[in-house]
Amino acid sequence: MTADKEKRRAISREAARRRRRVESDVFGDLCRLLPLQPSVQAHLDKPSVIRLTLSYMRTHTLLKGKMEPKAEASHAVKHGEVTEGGEGRQECDGGCEEEERDTEDVEASEETNMYLRILEGFLMVLSTEGDMIFLSDNVSKYMGLTQTELMGHNIFEFTHPCDHDEIRNNLRLTAEEVWCGAKRDFVMRIKSALTHRGRSANLKSATWKVLHCQGRAKVCVAPSSVSCLVLTCQPLPLSHTLLSTHTFTSQHSMDMKFTYCDQRVTPLLGYSPEELLGRSIYSLCHTLDTNCLTKNHLNLCFKSQSVSGQYRMLVRGGGYVWVESHSAVIPSVRPSKSRPGAHQPLCILSVTYVLSGVEQPSLQLSLDQTVHRHSR
Amino acid sequence: MSARNAAAGGGDRAGGERADVLVEENQCSSMSLTSLMTPSSAAGMSLNMEIPRKRKGSMDSQDRKTASTPDADMEDDQNGSDEDDQHVKIKCFREPHSQIEKRRRDKMNNLIDKLSAMIPTCNPMSRKLDKLTVLRMAVQHLKSLKGSGSSFSEANYKPSFLPDEELKHVVLKAADGFLFVVGCDRGKMVFVSESVTKILNYSRAELIGQSLFDYIHPKDMGKVKEQLSASELYPRERLIDAKTGLQVQADLPVGAARLCSGARRSFFCRMKYNKISVKVEEKEFQASTSKKKESQKYCTVHCTGYMRSWPTSQLGAVGEGESDKQDSSHFSCLVAVGRVHSHSSPQVNGEVRVKPTEFITRYAMDGKFTFVDQRATTILGYLPQELLGTSCYEYFHQDDLPQLADRHRKVLRSKEKIETNCYKFKTKHGSFVTLQSQWFSFVNPWTKEVEYIVSTNTVISHDHCRTSRSGNKSEQSSNSKTSEEDGKKSLPVIPGISTTPGSMIYAGSIGTQIANELLDFNRCGLTEMNSSPSSGSVSPFSLPQDKCQQTHSQISNNVPNGEAADMEMPGKSSSEEEPQGATFSGGESLMGENSQLDLDSVVGPGLSNLSNDEAAMAVIMSLLETDTNLGEDVGFDEMHWSL
Repeated sequence: MTADKEKRRAISREAARRRRRVESDVFGDLCRLLPLQPSVQAHLDKPSVIRLTLSYMRTHTLLKGKMEPKAEASHAVKHGEVTEGGEGRQECDGGCEEEERDTEDVEASEETNMYLRILEGFLMVLSTEGDMIFLSDNVSKYMGLTQTELMGHNIFEFTHPCDHDEIRNNLRLTAEEVWCGAKRDFVMRIKSALTHRGRSANLKSATWKVLHCQGRAKVCVAPSSVSCLVLTCQPLPLSHTLLSTHTFTSQHSMDMKFTYCDQRVTPLLGYSPEELLGRSIYSLCHTLDTNCLTKNHLNLCFKSQSVSGQYRMLVRGGGYVWVESHSAVIPSVRPSKSRPGAHQPLCILSVTYVLSGVEQPSLQLSLDQTVHRHSR
Repeated sequence: MSARNAAAGGGDRAGGERADVLVEENQCSSMSLTSLMTPSSAAGMSLNMEIPRKRKGSMDSQDRKTASTPDADMEDDQNGSDEDDQHVKIKCFREPHSQIEKRRRDKMNNLIDKLSAMIPTCNPMSRKLDKLTVLRMAVQHLKSLKGSGSSFSEANYKPSFLPDEELKHVVLKAADGFLFVVGCDRGKMVFVSESVTKILNYSRAELIGQSLFDYIHPKDMGKVKEQLSASELYPRERLIDAKTGLQVQADLPVGAARLCSGARRSFFCRMKYNKISVKVEEKEFQASTSKKKESQKYCTVHCTGYMRSWPTSQLGAVGEGESDKQDSSHFSCLVAVGRVHSHSSPQVNGEVRVKPTEFITRYAMDGKFTFVDQRATTILGYLPQELLGTSCYEYFHQDDLPQLADRHRKVLRSKEKIETNCYKFKTKHGSFVTLQSQWFSFVNPWTKEVEYIVSTNTVISHDHCRTSRSGNKSEQSSNSKTSEEDGKKSLPVIPGISTTPGSMIYAGSIGTQIANELLDFNRCGLTEMNSSPSSGSVSPFSLPQDKCQQTHSQISNNVPNGEAADMEMPGKSSSEEEPQGATFSGGESLMGENSQLDLDSVVGPGLSNLSNDEAAMAVIMSLLETDTNLGEDVGFDEMHWSL
């Protein structure tokens, strides 16, 4: 009886082993077909293989659109020198000896790399359910996780729960929006497994990173109508380079009243920094842009960083200028080491770029423009 | 999503498991995978050890989703040696572990299902295919996808999920931008990417070799020149360190060919864009090849990029014809990406929609104008500065004052947009223009106070005027019929009363009252009414008993004839404490006539309970106290109470 049982067990074990082997073989085949580096391929587990396969197929159907006719390649040859080689590629100089297609591939990839590097962001393609169908390679620089680790997963696993509603709203695409390529522009918090020094840490010790996502909707018709959102995601920098005379910095308390303003605001807007202290930014702006300011303010309060859209600031004496502000919430005093748990007062630091000249200078739209009107 | 379910499951179970729970994972890279799935779970979950395979006995009794493909790992050889020792341990883990396994299987099955949905050959199959078959078909499918693609044999081929060419398109589509390289000394555009045609509507050929400054708004040229000045790669570098809010000097070494963050540039400029050639139907645009200044349109482009500098020896064809390059050994340029913001992108479809004439105004809480759109001038005749600081109620037609006051009150309390009915607004020349407005109060999200009320006012042509939604419809229409012909503010009942300073102040106080009402409402809350000196009788109001509020409610009742009411006030100032029926005599009848008025809709709940003229007068008395100009002395019978 026991021998029988043993025999049966042995047979089933063998069968199981064979099944497993077959399955592993198939997985191996699948893995090899994926466009991955061999080193990465070896380490993939089965769910990941399927996940990446899915992403690959979706990427293909969604994004393999019409290939535009290749433009003249001569000017693009310069890109051979432009690239740093930071990606580790060795492309031939000039490219005349190679096939036309290679040159164009090179050029395309260089341009893309350059593009992504300049933008300082990565590309994300999201399905309407929030699956990250495709991510560009450099996502590891910003999130600490590689492309293969992330592709195919759902974005809601990686973003802050409080932002999920906003993300869902942005993912909602009506038919018309999709066909018109509606634009999206929002800020969200995503997990980043990067340490301060830029090394990848475990995701469990991930911090939140604020990303500014801009992009548009895209649709592919065949085989079935599938729409997705193509976004470039840029982490909002915490430090700004200021080289232009057309920017000024300001600090605000959390209700957007000025607590400090750069001297440069005077030639740009006509107010002196002292005049602005204690006044709310809402009173200085065109009414039609109140929504823009509110969104900016709320983003700052919840996500600690924000990019406003373009809005108008009223100029003293009349008229307005178009500006755009990049803001962040920072502790207004240095965190003291002696009282680590103490509540730090926060303030908003804002860098405002002035985009236009003064429009309609003789037009007084608001009482605030006439306030303090005294000749200097 | 299966992954999410698994994550949720893991999260749920984390608390129940001991710290030394071992999770079986097949492959070593799963460490990151589990951590991806269960970011909040206990540390033990990420351990990557194999659990002793003693579960065969227990697993047999578990229900399995796919009987055809039993989970391979379950059926390994049993380590019978230390079964007894570990038996207890396994027993404790049996429950949670099987759950883990189940979750894993579920996830796998989920993925297989998704895979089968994606593969064209799997789709038409009526019955569900087994795992192996699906995988095999996936392999076939991938092979077919690859077959049409590029070859792998190239040494420099970098495998990627998306061919670069397409990636480029995707990136450019997402970012709505174009890449460009300009030389620093003269702004010559050395390179422009193809996508510029979609954005600025110029072809690459048109732009390459041209000077960037030809395409920039004249007022921005200085700004761009500043950004490009190669000789000052670093000196005016100023960084704002967000941690401290202070400016720091960037002392970065000048690297010849290195791309370092110090060389970053970011600026906005306005660039020209070419007009689109027009279809016959559109008459607004015209195809233009010449750059006529007056018809030139600009869009705001956000340019971000880096300064680069190369020794000219490296560059072959770039320096062609540039004889003056020989003296400088370096070619500096700006490599940047220009993105157009959605707000200011050039109109592509060019459809012309005629919007109804509208303008925006902003009021303080009490109805005084604090901001007036310049379009108001063409509609109302007043310049913005003539309106600023005055109360909106001075311009509303008296017939409309009740409903507008009511809306005013509503909007201060509501977070939504409040629509008014059509109303008449007095223009500078004395005539009236019919408007319809949408109001919403803007609350500072941080201080939670109402900062101001934004009003979007649309000019309505007379026949489109919507019917009143309030209960006063019949009265209003009857009134408007009577007053329509002269279009003057005064009603026929009181001929000859024109705007006087007194009336204006009175009208202004309506707004003040409403605002005070809100403030007091917020302050007092819904407390019981204290004994009010103004009236010995029980208050009919169920609203917070603030004096001002009551008076306001009454005032809106009086609202239709602002001037007259104002004038009649002073006569009663002496009789505040004791409501005198005598002075009311003239108005009593009128009041009685109008008692059928739906007072509730006008002045809020509770007022309709008012049966006491004395109380009403008391309320008016208290209003008098707050009113500034009480000098007029007008006979009471001139007062007009109807709405």
